[in-house]
Amino acid sequence: MAEISFPLPDLGEGLIEATVLEWLVAPGDQVERNQPLVEVETTKSAVELPSPQAGKVVRIHGEPGGTIAVGEPLIVFEVPDNTAGIVGTVPVEEAPRRRVRLSAPPEDD
Amino acid sequence: METHGRHSAQLPGHTVEGTDPQLYIQTYVPAADAGLRPVLLLHGFASSAKLNWADTGWLSALNSAGRRVITVDLPGHGGSAAPDDLDSYTPSRIRADILQLVSDRGVRPLHDGDTTTGLDVIGYSLGSRLAWEFGATQTELVHRLVLGGAGGLDPLAAFDLPAAQQYLADGTPIADASTAALLKMAQLLPSNNLFSLLSLIEAAKLEPFDPAEAVPKMPMLLIAGDKDERAATMGDLAALSSLSEQVLLPGRNHTNAVTSRAFKNAAIEFLAG
Repeated sequence: MAEISFPLPDLGEGLIEATVLEWLVAPGDQVERNQPLVEVETTKSAVELPSPQAGKVVRIHGEPGGTIAVGEPLIVFEVPDNTAGIVGTVPVEEAPRRRVRLSAPPEDD
Repeated sequence: METHGRHSAQLPGHTVEGTDPQLYIQTYVPAADAGLRPVLLLHGFASSAKLNWADTGWLSALNSAGRRVITVDLPGHGGSAAPDDLDSYTPSRIRADILQLVSDRGVRPLHDGDTTTGLDVIGYSLGSRLAWEFGATQTELVHRLVLGGAGGLDPLAAFDLPAAQQYLADGTPIADASTAALLKMAQLLPSNNLFSLLSLIEAAKLEPFDPAEAVPKMPMLLIAGDKDERAATMGDLAALSSLSEQVLLPGRNHTNAVTSRAFKNAAIEFLAG
């Protein structure tokens, strides 16, 4: 198993930090992608952050009332090794493969 | 057949006063429909459907509970138009336009034994004031009300408009704390149209909230943070209706009660009753 840490995301509007209101998950919980993780409040509004990842919660950062800066660790997940590379580790470098188009690209390509 | 997800297609509109209010209205259809009437969400002053209901997790919570959701941005807010004329912002005009919009989206009067008929309404702050009046005047349509962050007083009617205009002109501090706080809210987001928000206040002063004048006859849930000063008079609303329940959210204020999971759970449970 591998661990993936997610930082507090950029909440827009030039906000640099947020206050934790309430955690909706706890260490040990298995969460789905987009499941609500935590309520946080900025100087402008309160928001609920959905999970960017499915996995088991290992650690959460920030007690209710505590402040977290954008970019600081918010939550750590445990995921199977073969999925960690998607977001959490530097991918193994591979020889570049040349891509050849055999048909006209679809319009939304 | 409608698929689940967000819908914002233009529908052929009817107009109440002959002019299209150009309100930004959206419907959110659940993946698994619980077979219940739609839920209309009315946001607060200087907010929007996105800020009040989407970013806070309400849309996903209601959709996950199988509820179909209709959101509307108030005039001068969010994606809605910001007309120049004062009349577009009067609470009575807003209620009439909302009635027409939900009717155009297939909402039909309550019919005994058919859980898909009628409409549930959740409001927050100014949205709760509108929901109270909407429920009181649309007895045939509204099944239940959830009123968040609401009190018996009207902060917009009490808003010191000359002081706000003076402040905007030359920075003279505003003496009234509620006026200063509302103006700060209005100025907080660059996307807010300050002229429109002040027009809405001016229009709301023409029709101040008088909850005793018309009391909703359907069950209602009154809910607010226990640190919400604007909802300190929530009990006055409850006293007007024998069908009301009150819930206080520990440690929450007017701004951060909106995301509360306890609020969402209480609302979803209450509306399913």
